[in-house]
Amino acid sequence: MLERIGARRVLLIAALAVAVLVGTIAATNLASSTVYYMTPSEVYAKTVQMGQTIRLGGLVEQGSLTSRPTGRPGENEVEFIITDGNAKVRVLARGAIPGLLREGAGAVVEGSFAADATFIATQVIAKHDEVYTAPTAGATPAHRTGFP
Amino acid sequence: MTETTIPRGNTLPRIRPWLGIAAAASFVVASVMALFWAPTDAVQGNVYRILYVHVPLAWLAYLAFVVVFLASVGWLWTKNPLFDSIAVSSAEIGVLFTGLFLVAGSIWAKPTWGVWWTWEPRLVTTAIMFVMYVGYLLLRGLSTDFSRRATRAAVFGIIAVIDVPIVHLSVLWANSLHQLPTVLRAGGSPALDSSMLLTLMVSLGAYTLIYAYFMTARVSLELARHRRLWTT
Repeated sequence: MLERIGARRVLLIAALAVAVLVGTIAATNLASSTVYYMTPSEVYAKTVQMGQTIRLGGLVEQGSLTSRPTGRPGENEVEFIITDGNAKVRVLARGAIPGLLREGAGAVVEGSFAADATFIATQVIAKHDEVYTAPTAGATPAHRTGFP
Repeated sequence: MTETTIPRGNTLPRIRPWLGIAAAASFVVASVMALFWAPTDAVQGNVYRILYVHVPLAWLAYLAFVVVFLASVGWLWTKNPLFDSIAVSSAEIGVLFTGLFLVAGSIWAKPTWGVWWTWEPRLVTTAIMFVMYVGYLLLRGLSTDFSRRATRAAVFGIIAVIDVPIVHLSVLWANSLHQLPTVLRAGGSPALDSSMLLTLMVSLGAYTLIYAYFMTARVSLELARHRRLWTT
């Protein structure tokens, strides 16, 4: 009988622990992830502090993306403009840049503003859209993988 | 306790091998189509092919938890232990597929988005879904009284299903990293090539058969256990 009660107590504690975990995740992350990223317009409207870590999302403006290798393998220094059609933010990032980052496509960057209003990104996340289509004849996919 | 109408398991063992064969065969067909027949994607290249695993796993997670919900309602309504057996079986299988769904998503995210994980609305709501159903399975171990256990679990199973549409619609409600729905698009045809759509449909069918096969096996196991433990 004692063993039974012990097992039940362990399960009760485990169930409570899971409930607490769900609550914690919900409270700390769901609130911030409903605003997973801010758009450039929102950044200007809400007066983001210099040095405050935020996520910024939008489209990489056509013709704005430049990339050069940093010398370390797999790392690049990139500069581009994120736009939502109304406002623009200049972004600087270095490190492993996802292969899908390209002009005209979406991106989400995490980092903070420097004194000169440039956004220094510590992480660059490329966004892809919901459209899947075969490449036109002769074209190579933007993102190439080793599969034959 | 009154002897309720529990099927003695005469039909399930007979259809199970056929269901298994159908599931395995369609899985092979789906995999060959996904890996060799479907064209590569213009933007993502071959890495997009994980879509044919990721999307069916997501579908199975949704399906499994909706079945938990329906079976939970069935238990509260009729008090037939068959419904409780269906609920626990579907919850276990759902947890398995949600776990695989998260892993497959992570494997897709790293080469495309550039991160394994980020606290994006759909990822957060899916993680909550996973943890909730792990909690459901833990809750079932709390009571040794069959009826109380089944009723508590059923109440939880009914509440927890709320997260399923939240996971699916999170990409429409909030700024997210996930793309918008491809197949069930608002006022438009599916945004993928017809050969890709066919491959996806075959994959969805194959994974659904796998779910059905797992369910027949797990439900008959649960019914056998129920007969051994609670009806003498």
